[in-house]
Amino acid sequence: MAILEAQSLTKRFGPVQAVDGVSLTVGQGEITGLLGPNGAGKSTTLHMLLGLVTPDSGGVTMFGLDLQKHRTEVLSRVNFSASYLGLPGVLHVREVLNSFARLYGLRDPRARVAEVAELLEIGPLLKRRTSDLSSGQHTRVQLGKALLNDPELLILDEPTAALDPDAGERIRNLLVSVARETGTALLITSHNMREVERMCDTIHFLAAGRIVASGSAAELAAHFGVVDLEEVFLKVAREGVPA
Amino acid sequence: MTAIAFAPHSTQARRRRIAGVVYRDLAAMRRSPIRVFEILFWPVIELVVWGYVTLFLQANKVPFIVSMLLGAVLLWQVLHRASNEVSIGFLEDVWSRNLINLHVTPVTPGEYVTGLILFSLIKIAGGLAVMVTLAYVLYGFGLFSVGIGLIPFMAVLLVLGWALALVAISAVLRFGEGAQVIAWSLVFVLQPIAGVFYPVSVLPEPLQWLADAVPASHVFEGMRAVLGGAPVPWDTLALAAGLDVGYVAVALWLYTATLRHARSKGRLSRFGE
Ligand SMILES: Nc1ncnc2c1ncn2[C@@H]1O[C@H](COP(=O)(O)OP(=O)(O)O)[C@@H](O)[C@H]1O
Ligand SMILES: [Mg+2]
Repeated sequence: MAILEAQSLTKRFGPVQAVDGVSLTVGQGEITGLLGPNGAGKSTTLHMLLGLVTPDSGGVTMFGLDLQKHRTEVLSRVNFSASYLGLPGVLHVREVLNSFARLYGLRDPRARVAEVAELLEIGPLLKRRTSDLSSGQHTRVQLGKALLNDPELLILDEPTAALDPDAGERIRNLLVSVARETGTALLITSHNMREVERMCDTIHFLAAGRIVASGSAAELAAHFGVVDLEEVFLKVAREGVPA
Repeated sequence: MTAIAFAPHSTQARRRRIAGVVYRDLAAMRRSPIRVFEILFWPVIELVVWGYVTLFLQANKVPFIVSMLLGAVLLWQVLHRASNEVSIGFLEDVWSRNLINLHVTPVTPGEYVTGLILFSLIKIAGGLAVMVTLAYVLYGFGLFSVGIGLIPFMAVLLVLGWALALVAISAVLRFGEGAQVIAWSLVFVLQPIAGVFYPVSVLPEPLQWLADAVPASHVFEGMRAVLGGAPVPWDTLALAAGLDVGYVAVALWLYTATLRHARSKGRLSRFGE
């Protein structure tokens, strides 16, 4: 069953057609990747799915509800994390999580914060200021925030972009295990081919605001007649969108 | 499982989400001693300066000056802080690149603004307690000598301050962080015509008309009247309250329209990038 359905989303910013007719669905518990070069429209697509950006045309339905009309219900069941987000810097990690647990209307914020801290192994960070965290720690705390409401769909915009390969790998493993354990669906953007290759059940390749190919990593490689996703990426990025 | 939430539209969920906004601001205040210090700093400075001005004038036998000036200083602080504290709560989210995190939560604009307002009330109550005590200890001026009128006077000013803050927040949303200066200075645009320290009647006539449209001017005029021995001017206060309703309606409309505009232009994601 699809928990997310996006129909022909388009968005233009002045002269730039950032997103040009993107349709996609995400099923329950599914891990979906949006892969594409810089400026392909990945972030804009995610932002439309989250109601941060209003599409010029097209619509978003989540859990069978129209996003525009049922913001509060939909956003209660989704969460988001991205490498470019900050957190209130003077606050201790515990306070940040406590406040977001309330913003998500949880019945027992403290218990949930404790549980998430254990899940992400950030217990030792709870008494630290968020501004004092390393980028790896910051990413974990952001993910902690994003898991507070036990989302049915977790949207992640380049979650590992700020991390070194080792920290990135840990976060990836963590994400996949959390997703499998809790049945949370993931929608993740990346320009890291290996990342999506390893994590995702389905990959949509985005270029110049359009989905140019979809499928598993193997299917995509076969579609473009190359050996792996990296070559797909280079081929599309250099030769432009195939007809 | 501990991730159980209240039904999204239930009163409990709304209260919890508003509490989240207040909790965040209280924690931020607790973690930044400067912000606690702020509660004391400006009120004390203003009181000392104006207190000495009144002492000087009093020595020159100008009648009623003491209470009127000190009352004006105290009430002006109410307006000033109501406006600034709400703006600061919002700016915290801009400064810490937290705007997106906030806007992907189920918190509605109304709940967010309510949270900011509640927090401002807590801070204003603290600042006012300090000032009232100081005014009494230093100059023997009891703010409560204004009497029952004090409650509507303050209420009109608080609501006006919140409306101004919403305008300032909208300006930052619309024009970016550069517009922060509006958040600090908008309230001072009103100061000359609000008759804070002098009667509106000293203004040139066109400005007097403008002053009539500013809820605060009725409050400061009313305060002087009451301190001069007149009864509380309930009719002009009712007018001021009516004006307040208009100001808040316009400010809320502006805020929601700006939010809509920001979503359509993709501005929410551009802050702090
Ligand atoms: N808020 C915005 N205002 C103006 N242009 C934008 C905005 N957001 C994105 N763009 C432009 O839209 C295009 C797609 O951007 P984006 O969705 O961020 O791509 P990606 O995430 O794939 O790198 C880019 O050309 C970018 O400059
Ligand atoms: Mg991006």
